[in-house]
Amino acid sequence: MAEICCEEAKSTPATAVAAASVSATAAAAAAVAVASSALERRRRRLEMRRFRVASDPEELVAEDVRAAKRQRLARTLSGSCPDAGSDSDRPALPRYGVTSVCGRRREMEDTVSIRPDFLPGTSKHNFFGVFDGHGCSHVATMCQDNMHEVVADEHTKAASGEETAWKGVMERSFSRLDEQAASWATSRSRDEPACRCEQQMPLRCDHVGSTAVVAVVSPSHVVVANAGDSRAVLSRGGVPVPLSVDHKPDRPDELARIEAAGGRVIYWDGARVLGVLAMSRAIGDRYLKPFVSSEPEVTVTERTDDDECLILASDGLWDVVTNEMACEVVRACFRSNGPPAPAARPNGVALPAAGAGAEDGSAVVKGVGKEDSDKACSDAAMLLAKLALARRSADNVSVVVVDLRRGI
Amino acid sequence: MPCLQASSPGSMPYQHHGRGVGCAAEAGAAVGASAGTGTRCGAHDGEVPAEAARHHEHAAPGPGRCCSAVVQRVAAPAEAVWSVVRRFDQPQAYKRFVRSCALLAGDGGVGTLREVRVVSGLPAASSRERLEVLDDESHVLSFRVVGGEHRLQNYLSVTTVHPSPAAPDAATVVVESYVVDVPPGNTPEDTRVFVDTIVKCNLQSLATTAEKLALAAV
Repeated sequence: MAEICCEEAKSTPATAVAAASVSATAAAAAAVAVASSALERRRRRLEMRRFRVASDPEELVAEDVRAAKRQRLARTLSGSCPDAGSDSDRPALPRYGVTSVCGRRREMEDTVSIRPDFLPGTSKHNFFGVFDGHGCSHVATMCQDNMHEVVADEHTKAASGEETAWKGVMERSFSRLDEQAASWATSRSRDEPACRCEQQMPLRCDHVGSTAVVAVVSPSHVVVANAGDSRAVLSRGGVPVPLSVDHKPDRPDELARIEAAGGRVIYWDGARVLGVLAMSRAIGDRYLKPFVSSEPEVTVTERTDDDECLILASDGLWDVVTNEMACEVVRACFRSNGPPAPAARPNGVALPAAGAGAEDGSAVVKGVGKEDSDKACSDAAMLLAKLALARRSADNVSVVVVDLRRGI
Repeated sequence: MPCLQASSPGSMPYQHHGRGVGCAAEAGAAVGASAGTGTRCGAHDGEVPAEAARHHEHAAPGPGRCCSAVVQRVAAPAEAVWSVVRRFDQPQAYKRFVRSCALLAGDGGVGTLREVRVVSGLPAASSRERLEVLDDESHVLSFRVVGGEHRLQNYLSVTTVHPSPAAPDAATVVVESYVVDVPPGNTPEDTRVFVDTIVKCNLQSLATTAEKLALAAV
């Protein structure tokens, strides 16, 4: 069914503009209906897997292997709010949805970090990060675990309420994560799980890196910092507004920077730094310094009443789905779910606690539990991931959708 | 007969610290045009140390081919370095970018065929390689790439390990040279930049590995 919907969506360019709008809307709406029932079945399977964790860990592993072989869509959510307490005392949660799938790659090297209300002493600032690792997953995992804390620390040091301070905060944060990546093997604590490449060759992980697209959403602004080819897009009045620009090596200003530093961009299955890496900025990748920089590009965007959503995703999505299509899918999910629900979740609908996945620290999504997400946003994130897989994305796909609509 | 058109730079430091373009001298169009079967390539003269040079000699690459040599100094005895280099069945002991290695034939000796799966992010998925030379007396290893998912056709590599003349008991000079087809759409320089980047990264990793081994043995 997803394939049929996508075929219908693909016919859009051939029709008139008005008809195209109707066609795309119909396709997205039809896909939503399918996604709803599919989502329900998947939720039940996910719950069954959770219960199975307690009884038979080996069966869970087998289940994971089977799931990977079938290249099935799997939504991995675990971990709980760090400041979880009484429900009535919990600060208002952002309305968001998240999906992260392995897709056609053999390994999952994407990670997602969602940290509500993450700035001490400053309320209503929510952190969202998507990190797409390459070479191995440990740099992306390190960003998932540490980026929000480093940003909060740098924000505190900046001691300024002005939005213009965000550029420095983000640049220093990315630089610190890059340093952590370089010294990861020597400074890693003993109890941290070893990643695959360290098991094979300890202390030699210069070839590992990760993209990082990070958003801090406050009541008045959206701050985005990006290094690499993941992306953040705002939907405003139905029009996509890019909040980041992909760092591809053949982007004219990136090409000029690399060559000025004495490097080369070579077309080797696409434009690559020294023919090796398909992005011009990343956390890690020490062997390609200074050509592959960790310096983020930072945008600070004032929120408006026309803002609908923010989408953060890895290139597994953006390589096969346009900004326009992504925003249209989210708008369709919002329409089918009705007006935004109050941000605070009602009491009494607690779901089972996260299983063993949270305890070994290797969850793909960290900072929030499944029960914290918003249905419309979750539907949208799930549908976007399904669309990417249906269009044969060759990569891991991670999608975060944040509802920015006002009028609670 | 030496190929006189090849550039012959003066003595150069053995270790290349830069991460920029490859270290090979240009085997220019003139060399390519005049190359015949058996003509010796002089592109690496002056870069490959004299004691290793004879192992890295090869015919001048003709049109559509290119060659290069990467030199790495290691602060460890030659035996420690060779013990790591010679394990054709264990490339992950020092090479980066290896996700896994499976032997398809042989047990580490000449004729061994290995399938190396490559980590994500690179423009390659796997490489199938045959061990051509394993000389424990002269410390020479050579392998040929015979398949896999990548763009490097007819790749032949030679790696040598020699005590450093300056400090024979404590330092080693490793040279890896190769000859390979230039892929369609790329230039010889493109190809050298790409391959040299990978080879340099691996030899720097080898230096780190062997130096740790030598320290552990003390």
